[in-house]
Amino acid sequence: MLAIETNDLTYRAGKDFELRELCLKVREGAIYGFLGPNGAGKTTTIRLLLGLQRANSGRISVLGHDVPRHVHRALAETGYVPERPHLYPYLTVGEAIRYHGAFWKGFDHGYAGELIEMFGMPEHQRLARLSKGEMGKLHMLLVLAQRPKLLVLDEPTDGLDPVVRRDVLTALLDFCSQGSTTVFISSHLVHELERICDWVGVLDRGRLVTELPMHSFKQGIKRLRVSRAPSLLGDTPFVLLLREQTPFDEIWVVRGWQAPMTQWFEGAGAELKEVVDLDLEEGFVEMLRASRSTSGL
Amino acid sequence: MFGQVLRAQWKYSRAAVAVFTVLCFAAPLATVYYRPGEVRTGGVPVSSWLLGAERVGAAIPVLALLLGVVFGLGAWAPDTAGRHVYALAMPVPRWHYVLLRFGAGAALTTFPVGSLVAGCLIAAAAVTLPEGVHAYPVQLGLRFGFAVLVCFALIFTLAIATRRAVLGVLGVLGGMVMADVLLGAAGQESVVTETMFRLLTTWPGPLSILIGRWALFDV
Repeated sequence: MLAIETNDLTYRAGKDFELRELCLKVREGAIYGFLGPNGAGKTTTIRLLLGLQRANSGRISVLGHDVPRHVHRALAETGYVPERPHLYPYLTVGEAIRYHGAFWKGFDHGYAGELIEMFGMPEHQRLARLSKGEMGKLHMLLVLAQRPKLLVLDEPTDGLDPVVRRDVLTALLDFCSQGSTTVFISSHLVHELERICDWVGVLDRGRLVTELPMHSFKQGIKRLRVSRAPSLLGDTPFVLLLREQTPFDEIWVVRGWQAPMTQWFEGAGAELKEVVDLDLEEGFVEMLRASRSTSGL
Repeated sequence: MFGQVLRAQWKYSRAAVAVFTVLCFAAPLATVYYRPGEVRTGGVPVSSWLLGAERVGAAIPVLALLLGVVFGLGAWAPDTAGRHVYALAMPVPRWHYVLLRFGAGAALTTFPVGSLVAGCLIAAAAVTLPEGVHAYPVQLGLRFGFAVLVCFALIFTLAIATRRAVLGVLGVLGGMVMADVLLGAAGQESVVTETMFRLLTTWPGPLSILIGRWALFDV
C-alpha cells in the first residue's frame, strides 16, 4: 500500500520552472527523504501533494484519496509543517494549539501538553515573539499532536540551531516509533536525512533523478578510477552515472556496485585502480552531476 | 471549530471592534446635537432642526461602509498574511472554511451594530420631540445592520477572490472611467460611469441601502 503516489505529475510555473512527469511512490510506514538542491521543486511538489496548488496534468493520491478532489479527506489524516511559518502571530502558544486542535478530530491535547513540557514552550507567549527555533518546535508539536497517518515536513529544521534540530528530530522519531506513521520529509541537508530516512528520492530541476531504499543509496554509489577503458562499454553489471576523462585515467561514478563486479573490468580489457566509497552527500552530489550531464543541463 | 475561529478573529480585530463600537454609539447621540428644546421655544423651526439631525445622521451610512470595509478585509487578512497556506492545509472543504471566516467576521460586526441601536434608543429617549416628529431607533438600527452586512459581504467577497478576479473587477471599473474620459474628450456626452453608479445605488443595486435618508427623527 502506498501512502503517496503520483503519476506523470506535471506542473509549470512560467518559463523557468517545470515539474516533469513526476512519479513518486512512498510506501506506508516509510520515512521518505525528499532530497534536492534549492529550487529543485521540493516545496512545489509538496504543495501539489496537499492540494495547495493545482497540477497541469497527472494524478495524485495521498493516503488513498484523490488530490485535489478529496484533498480535505487526505488533510484530515496529514500533518504538514511548511517551509515558512504560517501560524497567526497574534495568538499565544496555547491559543494556537486550541485553534489547531479544533480542526482535527483526533487531536491529542494531552500529548500536546507533554510536548509543550518536553520542548519547554512558553504557553502564554504570543507567536510573534517566538524565536525561529521555538516556532519550529511549535509547528512540530501541532502536527504530532494531530496523531496523523502521514507527516509532510518541508525543510522542518532549516535554519534551526543544532540543539533545537535535535529536539525536533527526536520528537519526530519518538512519534514514529509509536506507530506506523509515514513521513515525507524534504531537505537539502543530506546528513540529516541519512540518519532518519529509510527511503530517499532525489529531485533535481523538476525531475525525479532516483528513488530507492536508503541503504542502496548509501552503499551502491561508488567512484571508480579506471584506466585503459574501452570507449564503447556495452552492457555493464552496474549503472554508470558519470564518466570523466582525467589526464591519466578515467573517473566513473557508478550505482549498484558490488565487490564481485571487479571481474567485469578484466573481461572488458580495462584496469580498475581504485574503488572509493562515497558518503551520502558525495553520492548525492555525484548523482546530481551525472543527472545534469546526461540531460544536457 | 467556529468558536475557535471567532476567538482568533476577535483577537485580531478587537481594536477595530472597540473603535467602531464607540463611534457607532456616538453617531446617533450626535444627531440630537441640535436641541429640540429650541424648536419648542420657537428658536429653531422644526424643518431646520430635522435637516440638522439628518445631516449628522448622514455619517451613519458612511460608518456602515467603513465598518464593512474594515471588517470585510480583516476577516481574511490573517490568512492573506500567511499566503493562505494554513487555511488551505485545513482538513475542511474550502467553502466551509470561507463560511467560518465569514461567520466570524460578521459576528463581530454585531458589537458596533448593537451599540448603534443602543445609541439610537438612548438618543430617542433623551429628547422630548416636537409635535409631529417621531423617532425611529429600531428601524435605523436594523437598516444599519443590514447595510453593514451588505458592505461586509461585498468586501469579503473581493478579499477572498483571486488576484486575477480582483484585477478583472478593477479593470472593468477603470475601463468605464476611461470610456467616460475619452467620450468627454471627443465632445460626446458620456453616461457610462453615471449608469454604473446608478445601477449600484438604486434598487436592486447592492449599495442602494446606503443611499437615501438616514434619519433617527422624522415626521
